[in-house]
Amino acid sequence: MFGYVRPSAQRLSEADKRRFAAAYCGLCRTLGERCGLAARFILNYDFVFLTALLWPAEAPAPLCRGCIAHPLRARGYFPANEALALAADESVILAWWQLQDALADPGRGKGKYRAAAGALSGAYRRARANRPAFDRGVREQLERLHRLEEARCPSLDESADAFAKILALAAGETADPVKSRVLEQLLYHLGRWIYLVDAADDLAEDFASGSYNPLIFRFALAEGRLTEEARGSLVRTLDHSIRLMSAAYELWDFGDWSPMIQATLYEGLFLVGRSVLEGTFHADSAALPRCRKDKEQL
Amino acid sequence: MTDPYVVLNVSSTATDEEIKKAYRDLARKYHPDNYHDNPLADLAQEKMKEINAAYDAIQKERSGRASAASSSARQSYGGGYGGYQYQQRTAYAGAPAFRQVRMAINRNDLAMAEQLLGQIADHDGEWNFLKGTISYRRGWVDEARQYYATACQMDPGNPEYRQALNFVENGEEGYRPSGYNVFSTGCGEDNLCGRMMCTYLMCNLCSCGGMRFFYC
Repeated sequence: MFGYVRPSAQRLSEADKRRFAAAYCGLCRTLGERCGLAARFILNYDFVFLTALLWPAEAPAPLCRGCIAHPLRARGYFPANEALALAADESVILAWWQLQDALADPGRGKGKYRAAAGALSGAYRRARANRPAFDRGVREQLERLHRLEEARCPSLDESADAFAKILALAAGETADPVKSRVLEQLLYHLGRWIYLVDAADDLAEDFASGSYNPLIFRFALAEGRLTEEARGSLVRTLDHSIRLMSAAYELWDFGDWSPMIQATLYEGLFLVGRSVLEGTFHADSAALPRCRKDKEQL
Repeated sequence: MTDPYVVLNVSSTATDEEIKKAYRDLARKYHPDNYHDNPLADLAQEKMKEINAAYDAIQKERSGRASAASSSARQSYGGGYGGYQYQQRTAYAGAPAFRQVRMAINRNDLAMAEQLLGQIADHDGEWNFLKGTISYRRGWVDEARQYYATACQMDPGNPEYRQALNFVENGEEGYRPSGYNVFSTGCGEDNLCGRMMCTYLMCNLCSCGGMRFFYC
């Protein structure tokens, strides 16, 4: 997806950071094992978060081994389990359909998307065979989103609803009825939040290229940036979705993942959203010296 | 019954003060104000009942009777839980058509509520409030806020409309764990503005990680 969903590192203990890193590496390996090498390149933080939400009560302890990206230094990773497998398949399906959507968008260049789609086609076929219902749901919602885009839909909620429903579907089949309801609500608002943050992130580019962006039509923007009033409205609606995610989170015990989920919902999302609205998200993400320090601590 | 100390997440050797603090923290978390018109409000209500029962059980065990402290501690958090929405909805004495819409909303039959609302031609304050409530239950927060604002403009003295608008506009007033001071995407509410995001967030775990490989 997008890589916006990140915990606030300062709230995590060293053990929590190692656990997060082991899930990240475990998801990367699971992508490779289930869907092939190309699938490993779509990895991002959003699906580590999803993995944590779906984590089974009984899961094998982390192992330690080098990998293709880190051949010299062994790193801890969780061996494949049902949560990692589900997140791996779903991330491939989502990436595939987003690529198809990008290829259908007249406002964007096509070369890199064609190349990426070619590289990912085998992985997609495998993931689709594993999760046909999710594949169908994503396709339906993205088609709906495409129709809303063509109609230049001015409703933030309606356009965000399509992506929010995709994320709600990502919970898969959850046996416990309470956990199922908690995940559906949490993931719906996570999808809504991701969609709106991404719209804010892409606003200038979309305005310049003439591509659909719900913020342009909701706030009748005359240029590629938010007015103060529009920014205030967007902040309120983003904050409220985070609040609803947090309220849902508190109704289920996520065990060892609780500190990471808490650090994401009660701080990380606010900081990422703020960074996107300030236009510093990508520069901050590329600020390697400080991040390498974090990485070394893991 | 589940061990009441486990429910309150305290040791059985905790002091009365520690138990009261644990109870208050949990009650603050599951307070009805945090689950206003929330599709998971029933689950929060169950949590609240469990917490109240655990607190009462510990008080009883320690004092040999249901102490006055128990009821006074609970009054401020748990007393009105569960009755809150119910009282609001059933106390409504307006037009029968709107009453039917409210009943459909209370049953969480949002499609029916919307259909009934569509048959009402007069889009007054109540109509906008109920339209906002349906939007909110669906998670359509931006539209809910717009409808609530219109309802407040049409009927500024209505406390129910004002409460609903305040709830969607003031997200920072919700529960947050102790020590967490960032409570809005907007700048100016805390002291983290302008600092490097990567100082605070998990970034670049892997050389290929977190990359924006695809569009959306």
